[in-house]
Amino acid sequence: MSSVEMLNTYFLSIVLASLLVNTTIALYALFFKPHYVKKVIALTIFSDTVNTFAIFIGYRRWVGQTPPRVPVLTDLNQNAIENTIEEFKSLAVDPLPQALVLTAIVIGLAVILFLVFLGWILYSHYKTLDMREIRGLKG
Amino acid sequence: MKLIELVILIVVVLAVALLITVGFEHIIPSTSVRRLAEFYLYTAYNPLVNYTAMSPEAVTAIVWDFRGLDTLFETSVFYLALIGSLALVRGLFVEHVEKSGHGLSIIVRTVTRITAPMIIAVGASIGLHGHLTPGGGFQGGSVIAVLPMIVIVVFSAGFLVLKGVTTSKLITTRSLGLIGIGVTAIALFLAGLALGTSAYVFQNMAKPAAQISMPVSIGGALISGTLWFFNLFEMFAVAAGFTIAFLAIMMARTLEAEKR
Amino acid sequence: MVPGETGVYLLMAIMSLLSAIAVYMAIRERDLVRAVIYSALQSGLYAILYFLLLAPDIGLVYIPVAVGLIPGVLLVLISKTERWERE
Repeated sequence: MSSVEMLNTYFLSIVLASLLVNTTIALYALFFKPHYVKKVIALTIFSDTVNTFAIFIGYRRWVGQTPPRVPVLTDLNQNAIENTIEEFKSLAVDPLPQALVLTAIVIGLAVILFLVFLGWILYSHYKTLDMREIRGLKG
Repeated sequence: MKLIELVILIVVVLAVALLITVGFEHIIPSTSVRRLAEFYLYTAYNPLVNYTAMSPEAVTAIVWDFRGLDTLFETSVFYLALIGSLALVRGLFVEHVEKSGHGLSIIVRTVTRITAPMIIAVGASIGLHGHLTPGGGFQGGSVIAVLPMIVIVVFSAGFLVLKGVTTSKLITTRSLGLIGIGVTAIALFLAGLALGTSAYVFQNMAKPAAQISMPVSIGGALISGTLWFFNLFEMFAVAAGFTIAFLAIMMARTLEAEKR
Repeated sequence: MVPGETGVYLLMAIMSLLSAIAVYMAIRERDLVRAVIYSALQSGLYAILYFLLLAPDIGLVYIPVAVGLIPGVLLVLISKTERWERE
């Protein structure tokens, strides 16, 4: 590979490696940190990082000297619609991961809201949010 | 405990190295997209083929037309999580407030009164133009839902309840939004039954086997059939849902305060 | 002068590295209010990354939800329960 090509691939690999490091740190905190709110924060970081990974797969590199485009058609002139759609098809990024990630963000948000209400009920029963002490209580 | 952490770390590092070696050309982006993506980009707005969605925005066309059933079930999952949360704190908050609490200073209150209509205008513009520019129902509803959170912090929770924004009215708004989505989804199916032709359940434009379709534009403005109505109802439903959650967590009290 | 393509990838790499630092500081902080603020900072950096990866729909959902609503609900929960994480 030429040096510019290797530099581009190196920067994209930095993005990939930092996403994997974020996932590992969030999973570690989800298992080994004792407080309930810290576990909820780690769960939000984990789900957001997985969604970013899905969008990163759907990206597209530059073709020659022209940059890629957002998947929105802006030129609606009815006379030249064939050429516009052909050029749009060869330059736009993948729209399908964006649609699936939109659904995943809303479902993750619903689960986080329910976990916050559950944390409030736990505190008003056991007077503490430290999971080691709640695990040790018997009824 | 230390031995387990070391073993997990080594296994994770080996698995990541294997993943990068085997799937390198599939994970790092290349200069071409997959064939499924080319199909969706080709048929999102194309008046010359007969299975199009007539919407210049490919992501909204996929969310509400090509994969509409995913969005329907995701809306119902959000609704179930909200009902579950309200059932957990059901006996723990009271809706009768005599007078409103003590808010923040007068400078903050005046600035909030000035920027409140701007937030609603921006949220409505993002939500209703979802088929032409990036935006849609979720985006507009989330932006509008920031406003009750700011009002509860700056004025107080009692102020909002005294103005008439109670939990039962918000649940009614959310249910009306969901009924609107359901009616729009089966509107063409019922019209097809009445006229004697065949039609699908989530249908937007004319398909090869069902020749009935919603209007593409009204009075010269492009509305893309059912997409505009879906965005409108989804905006109301999402804004009401977030407001209920924030009001409930703000006004919940402990069990001892109830029994005293 | 860097050409356009390398400049965009360089910005993406810088945002990802800063978000990794923010995640590490959020996890090992024992004051929970500061942990929520670091998590909101990481979400802001992810929103810039979504804009650079040409996904404006996702960025428009992500900014009100992960910088405004989720830290708001978590801060209300912290103010009604306890603030410091025990060792």
